[in-house]
Amino acid sequence: MSQPSKVYDRQNPAYYALLVALVLMAIGPIYLMLATSLKLNVDIMSDSGGLLFMPTLRNYETALCDFLWYKPEHLRRCDPTFGRALTNSLIIGLISTAITLIIGTMAAYALVRFRFFGRDVVSIWTLMMRMVPPAVLLVPVFGIWTFQFGLDGTRGGIILVYVALNLPFVIWILQSFIVQVPIQLEEAARMDGAGPFGVFFLVVLPLIKPGIAAASIFTFRVAWNEFLLANALSDRNSRTVPVTIVNSLTEFDIDWGVIMATGMLLAIPPIIFTFVASRQIITGMTAGAVKG
Amino acid sequence: MPDIRLEHLRKDYGAVTVIEDLNLEMADGEFTVLVGPSGCGKSTTLRMIAGLESVTGGQIMIGDRDVSQLEPKARDLAMVFQDYALYPHMNVAKNMSFALRLARMNKADIDKRVKEVAETLDLKAYLDRKPAELSGGQRQRVAMGRALVRDAGTFLFDEPLSNLDAKLRGQMRAELALMHQRVGKNMIYVTHDQIEAMTLGDKIVVMKFGKIMQAGSPEELYRNPANKFVAGFIGSPTMNFLDAELSEDAGTLHAKGEGFAIPLSAQKAAGLQSHKDRKVTLGIRPSSFAEDSAGIEMPVILSEYIGAQSVLISEMGGQRVAIEVNSVAPVRTGETRNFTVQGDEVHLFDPQSEAAL
Repeated sequence: MSQPSKVYDRQNPAYYALLVALVLMAIGPIYLMLATSLKLNVDIMSDSGGLLFMPTLRNYETALCDFLWYKPEHLRRCDPTFGRALTNSLIIGLISTAITLIIGTMAAYALVRFRFFGRDVVSIWTLMMRMVPPAVLLVPVFGIWTFQFGLDGTRGGIILVYVALNLPFVIWILQSFIVQVPIQLEEAARMDGAGPFGVFFLVVLPLIKPGIAAASIFTFRVAWNEFLLANALSDRNSRTVPVTIVNSLTEFDIDWGVIMATGMLLAIPPIIFTFVASRQIITGMTAGAVKG
Repeated sequence: MPDIRLEHLRKDYGAVTVIEDLNLEMADGEFTVLVGPSGCGKSTTLRMIAGLESVTGGQIMIGDRDVSQLEPKARDLAMVFQDYALYPHMNVAKNMSFALRLARMNKADIDKRVKEVAETLDLKAYLDRKPAELSGGQRQRVAMGRALVRDAGTFLFDEPLSNLDAKLRGQMRAELALMHQRVGKNMIYVTHDQIEAMTLGDKIVVMKFGKIMQAGSPEELYRNPANKFVAGFIGSPTMNFLDAELSEDAGTLHAKGEGFAIPLSAQKAAGLQSHKDRKVTLGIRPSSFAEDSAGIEMPVILSEYIGAQSVLISEMGGQRVAIEVNSVAPVRTGETRNFTVQGDEVHLFDPQSEAAL
């Protein structure tokens, strides 16, 4: 084994320039958001550059006033809108992800392992369904949810539509993980006395954990970011954060500081979620199961 | 431990019939080995007994119970797979206790059983390891242990040693034989290795194209093969087959070919009068040749030294034959030696039907 070399080849400076430009493009907006969220409105609106200001957590206090144990001095009245939206987003994101994964893993397993009439058709059409843009679904979903199910303005309605939206992709991605579980393991489990559910929960599920983690990151992210359907289906009490942010841009007042603070807060849960879930994504889950 | 009977067993995959009409009886406590070349239906038969493969027709009787439509878990069987099939997310102890935990046995009993079995299989030091941290031989032992803790009535083995290297295979073979002596359960073992079959089996079932060619004890199959296929499959090195003709000479039947005439013993000749002057396939085991200066002169084309024995490749009647000799006096390639064949050690087969005569 040779020592890793510390000497690098000289590269064209243009590459570095390009790299810096790309980094700026990626980080710039986030920096702007962070900086703005730490400014008072006076500083935001002032013309005198944006680099020198007294950072303050006031905007965060305003956004989260519902959850604080003290009453922020600068607030005359606590507006619960942003706090409520964060709660809604978390509930809708987590529950829809959980439901999607429960149904998705079972459906994927059935599609891979069971032989039944119409299996291939179902398998292909689940993915085809995912290709339909949500905008196309907007009007029919709104109509059905409102006039037939009476689910408009409820979190349940939004959760339901997210489950429907994410399920095809989850089924599709999990199928490829389930195929890789050696069939002999399932046969061994059957010989050991496990029924179909035993085989699924005790043997297959633990082995496709990486797939479930990847699928959950995707599902949660979609549910967290989705705007179009949430905007159509939610009311004042069930609005998610993306809808709330857009709705707070009114012609009378735009509180940039609070919007940016909410934006920063909006970014945190998916990062935490991805960090936790991605630790499950490890390769070689089935190492040692069968002779390669 | 009930006896197992397969009655008119049939298996179709779509339009392809893999097993047509299989009848087999396995006595209580017997070690039965299903042996045959790839694709002969031996694994399919085992998997049907296990319940992993559906039965197209016929019955599988375990004792008085027809189990052919039952789920695997209702059949009181334990199985060891060719590829080990260990649960990779569980450690050795969890792997071995999986069936017991499913059966909701109490924890103290499970621990006791796992410990006992781990001890007999020399796995005690590895109970906390995951399968990925074990060597091939250890994994194989865990797979065996997983079946053993079950205390099932019948054990099924699907080529369990084929993934091990030669030395380990010999070792595990001996361990398996000991295990059978110790537990005395029904065992059904599938292999394509005739040495495994001979050393392990109380009864060997030789299969080809989904049919049983012959079933019997190892000695029976070796001494009285029912047909050319079994004769060629059982025994190592393989039996030599030569074209010959039966003819009477001075009152004794001879198997005659180009440059050789082997007088048959009276016992062999007794039933063969009707085949006089007909063509036959002559089967001679390599070990049936004996050096004798009055014998047939044979050139040594190749001499393979194995140890105590040497295998000589030679020619007889224009056909290649293998001869097994004692290695005491080394034989060199290119020499010429004389051999005789005892008349009661040859096998005769019908050239058309390949059945033993």
